Amino acid sequence: MKRSPLTLRVAVLTYVGLLIGLPLFFVFQQTFSRGFGVLWQALNDQQMDAAMILSAKVALVAVPLNVLFGVGTSLWIVRSPSRITAVLDRLIDIPLAISPIIVGLVLMLAYGQNGWFGQTFASWGWNIMFSYPGIVIASIFVSLPLVSRQVIPLLREVGTHAEETAATLGAGPWRIFFTITLRSITWATAYGVTLTLARVIGEYGAVLVVSGNIALVTQTLTLNIGANFDNFNNYQGFVGSAVLALSSIIILSMLSIARNRERKRHEYLA
Amino acid sequence: MAVTANYQESTKSRLLLPKERQSRFVISPVKGVARGAAVTFLSLVVLIPFAALITNAFNGGVSGFWNAVTAKESLHAIGLTFFCAALGSALNSAAGLATAWVLVRDRFWGQGLLNALIDLPFALPTVVAGVTLYTLYGPLSPIHLSLTGTWIGITLAIMFVTLPFTVRAVQPVLETMTFTAQAAAATLGASPIRIFRTITLPALAPALLAGTGLAFARSIGEYGSVVFISNNLPYKTELASSYIFSLTSSSQNTAASAASLALLVVAMALLGLFSVLSYHFSRGNR
Repeated sequence: MKRSPLTLRVAVLTYVGLLIGLPLFFVFQQTFSRGFGVLWQALNDQQMDAAMILSAKVALVAVPLNVLFGVGTSLWIVRSPSRITAVLDRLIDIPLAISPIIVGLVLMLAYGQNGWFGQTFASWGWNIMFSYPGIVIASIFVSLPLVSRQVIPLLREVGTHAEETAATLGAGPWRIFFTITLRSITWATAYGVTLTLARVIGEYGAVLVVSGNIALVTQTLTLNIGANFDNFNNYQGFVGSAVLALSSIIILSMLSIARNRERKRHEYLA
Repeated sequence: MAVTANYQESTKSRLLLPKERQSRFVISPVKGVARGAAVTFLSLVVLIPFAALITNAFNGGVSGFWNAVTAKESLHAIGLTFFCAALGSALNSAAGLATAWVLVRDRFWGQGLLNALIDLPFALPTVVAGVTLYTLYGPLSPIHLSLTGTWIGITLAIMFVTLPFTVRAVQPVLETMTFTAQAAAATLGASPIRIFRTITLPALAPALLAGTGLAFARSIGEYGSVVFISNNLPYKTELASSYIFSLTSSSQNTAASAASLALLVVAMALLGLFSVLSYHFSRGNR
């Protein structure tokens, strides 16, 4: 195979290095620039810790709900195609094409104080916007299609042969579902889950609109970072950024594991 | 004998099912409930809020909608958004093609790292990208390069966020591409540039366009990564997302809804154009 010219390789490495490598390096360089003592103090910052716990709590609810929804709708769309699923297939993709700010806005219009259901819910004692449930709904919205985008193509590809064979051998529907259907989409689902997790932890715009951004109460880690920069508390912001950058590196390695497992399964079948 | 008969019977009833009845292999008792739950979930999270957006946009009638959209600040913000999004994704479609090319065709030291770095913008929270770019290329820049409050800074942030889209769209196509036609053209005396323009590029065009379309869609709605470096100066560097956010913060819901709806409609139209172009190119290849 003919190699590309050296100048092209150098240009690409410089471009990616300056655009992505340098900023990533800079986050960690800033974080460690004041020594470990200061870093330890910053890591124990009360507001940042509360924000981290909130982000974790949001992910703990939003991710499982989205996985359930994603796998369920994928099975529905692929295995029982109808006019309804054709519409559903289109609708699921909407969140990916929308600005997170608009996501926040539409949720406010429906569930906020002056929104469609705000008054009704308030009379029941439910506060959705500017509190935890609103942040969860916004996180679900922005990451809605990430699981099904991974699972749908795979389900289409594997088909129903193995399931039919199992059925002829006398396996019941639940057994078929758990030992064959679910098994065949495990790694694609894992990939989707990781993408969802990354998106939920990293969401900024939508959460900014619906949460009210109250420190210690409704401030997620991303909001905390933004607030620190707005208040010229840059170092604290960089420490938060480093925590998130580290978690996204972990997420990326999980993604590459999931992708490799999926590829191996592919090669094994082929 | 009984087993054989049973087997044949079950193969008949299960294997020879018409396509649409294959779904019986997925658990049926809970299916109805699950489907109902899925539709309810989607309605609560996406559909009802969207209906609220559309009705709110027309709260002041059609003229109210039109006035809100064509307000000077709104037009400027939407215009700047599309300009920077188009510029950023166009630059990245060229850079993405080059990157994918190098990753597929070459073997060199640091390639694994390069490949891993490409995905980083997918996983890195936008606000982290935003504050880092702001510090690196802002007023406190250690390399004395201040791009804050300029369209260049905004485009840079957009390029950061959208780099993976074109690379990851083009890479698989390049990997499976056989270069026999290119070799034949070379033996017939075609220059490398001509080979690239007439053979390689058309074959890559659908993937390239698809990736650029995704990048473009993403950059229109971008907020966290651009809000810090843009400085949000109305009529200067205020992007549509920031404009809508400022309207939302001051409870001007009708104007915010109108601007959002306009932004969405124009974005959908442009993306539709992209998929038509992509379809056109992929037909030309066959």
